[in-house]
Parts: sequence; structure tokens; C-alpha cells
Amino acid sequence: MGTYNLLWSIAKRNVTTVLLGITISDRCVNIISVTGESMHPTFTAADRVLQGDFVLAERRCLEKYEFSHGDVILFKCPSNHKELFVKRLIALPGEWVQLPGSPKVTKIPEGHCWVEGDNAARSLDSRSFGPIPLGLVQGRVTHIIWPPSKIGQVERKMPEGRISQI
Amino acid sequence: MARALAFAWPYAKFCIVGGLFGRTFADWCASVSSVDGESMSPTLDGHQAERMLVEKRCLYTYDFTRGDVVVLRSPRSHREVLVKRLIALPGDWIQVPENQEIRQIPQGHCWVEGDNAANSSDSRSYGPVPLGLMQGRVTHVVWPPQRIRRVDRNMPEGRIMSQ
Repeated sequence: MGTYNLLWSIAKRNVTTVLLGITISDRCVNIISVTGESMHPTFTAADRVLQGDFVLAERRCLEKYEFSHGDVILFKCPSNHKELFVKRLIALPGEWVQLPGSPKVTKIPEGHCWVEGDNAARSLDSRSFGPIPLGLVQGRVTHIIWPPSKIGQVERKMPEGRISQI
Repeated sequence: MARALAFAWPYAKFCIVGGLFGRTFADWCASVSSVDGESMSPTLDGHQAERMLVEKRCLYTYDFTRGDVVVLRSPRSHREVLVKRLIALPGDWIQVPENQEIRQIPQGHCWVEGDNAANSSDSRSYGPVPLGLMQGRVTHVVWPPQRIRRVDRNMPEGRIMSQ
């Protein structure tokens, strides 16, 4: 009987911890590893998960969809639902964005946003797949927590002269 | 004070664990939501204040089948959640009823339509939607009691051509 009680109390504690962990990672903050070179130099260009920068992705911003220009956001790729992308948010609904290297101006439709990688030369982003629905956004990257040399906040940064509100 | 706290603690702990368990269950297994609007009538009826059971486990592997009733975030407004029928999956060719056009669903997208074609804003107006917007699949109607039933997979005929 004593063994049973001991096992039960251990199981109960583990289940509670796991539930707490799942709830926090679903609703508050999540740790992910960034790979690929599209966000270089903000994040290291790495091709394997363990070499990449580990970042904190905050999810509370999803409750009210509070995003600002220049935020680094996490979203599901529109052409492949299994992949998560990290890019910089350039324009929000109702704004006009100018495509680099061309005089063309696009209007962001309602409920969509425009995302681009910092490393424009090596990034698959809204310049190829167009505006993405805000419903695909999964969180906002706030801090780098690994490697130690890069620990710090991820800055909000906005390329100038790209958007105009009309 | 300390005694009151000692008395209340087991109950508080029970409530917190229960809340966590409920949240996790609703996020990962199934949840209940209410039907609003007419776009899915007669399958689901918004006027009867129907509640439907939304299964979330299909999201782990995205195993959706043509004809499923799915819940998805609106591509036009991130605050809205829609209920529609899944008509076509990536790679299918679909015939758009309004014009005689035949188009292919791009990779990672799907085509959704309401059962009440006359009163539904769906892929016919905004085109294919990314699969990443999916939030679950409707399996049963659970309320009111006299309307409890399964929601069947139902596929309009002659709409898609798989190649």
C-alpha cells in the first residue's frame, strides 16, 4: 500500500508539471530554435537545430493581436502548414508597401500582413508569396537566450521609406 | 489566518490543476463551441443555438478528408472563426460553380465552402485558404438534446478532379 501511495504522489506531481509546462508553452511563452539564413544578422545563419539561436517566442500578444511594425514574428508558412517561419513584420492591414527594386506599391488587404527576412537576398517571404493572413501568426520573438554571446532583446527595427499610409 | 489558508489550499490546488487540465484538453483534444450564422445550414443551424464538438487531434498530422466540416480562422479577419465544409485539398483541380473556371489548389492550401451556397462567404470569394489556419474538425452536435447527432462527411459530387 505504501508503494502505491508513493507512486501515486510521484505521478500526480509529474502530471501537474507537464500540464503546467504545456499551458505555459501554449499560452505564454515558448522556446524555439531558429535555423536558416533568412534573418541573418539578427539570428545566426545555421542549418541544424542545435546550432541555431534559441529564442523566446511570446504568445500573449496573440490574445489581442498587438503587433507593431518591425516586430520579429513567428508564423506558419502559408504554402506548407508544417513549417514555422521567423520574419520581420513590415506592414499591417490597410497600409501600402513598396516592393524593393520596383516602383510597384501593394495595398495590404484586411486581416493580412507583410513579412520580410532581414537578409533580403536569401529569404523566402512576402516578396514571393504576398501578404499572409494574420491568423497564421503564432507569436512574437522577444529575446535571444542562447548562445551566451548573443543573449539579449530582439530589437524592433524598421526599414525606412517602405510603407505609406494613405 | 494560517489555519484558513491550510484549509483552503487543497481546494485551491484542485481548482488550479482542474483548470490546467481543462485548458490542455480543450487545446489538444476537443472543445465545444457554438454555431453562429447561416452559412452551414441545414447541416448546422445557428438559429437553434446549437453547440458543436470540435476535435483538435486531426491537427497533429493534418489528416483532413474531403467533405469534412472544419473550423478555421478567417483569412480576412484574424478574430473570426468560421465553420465550412472542406471541398478540395492541395493538388486537386476544382471547378468554381459561378464561372466555368477550373483551377488547381496550390501546395499547403485548401478549398472551403458553406453548405448554404447562397448565403456563405467562402473560398468562392477569397480563394484557397492556407491549411495553417485550420483550428479543428466538427464531429458532433452536442446541444440542444433533441438535436444531438453526428456530423457526417458529405461531398458534393462532380466538383473536384484529382490528377
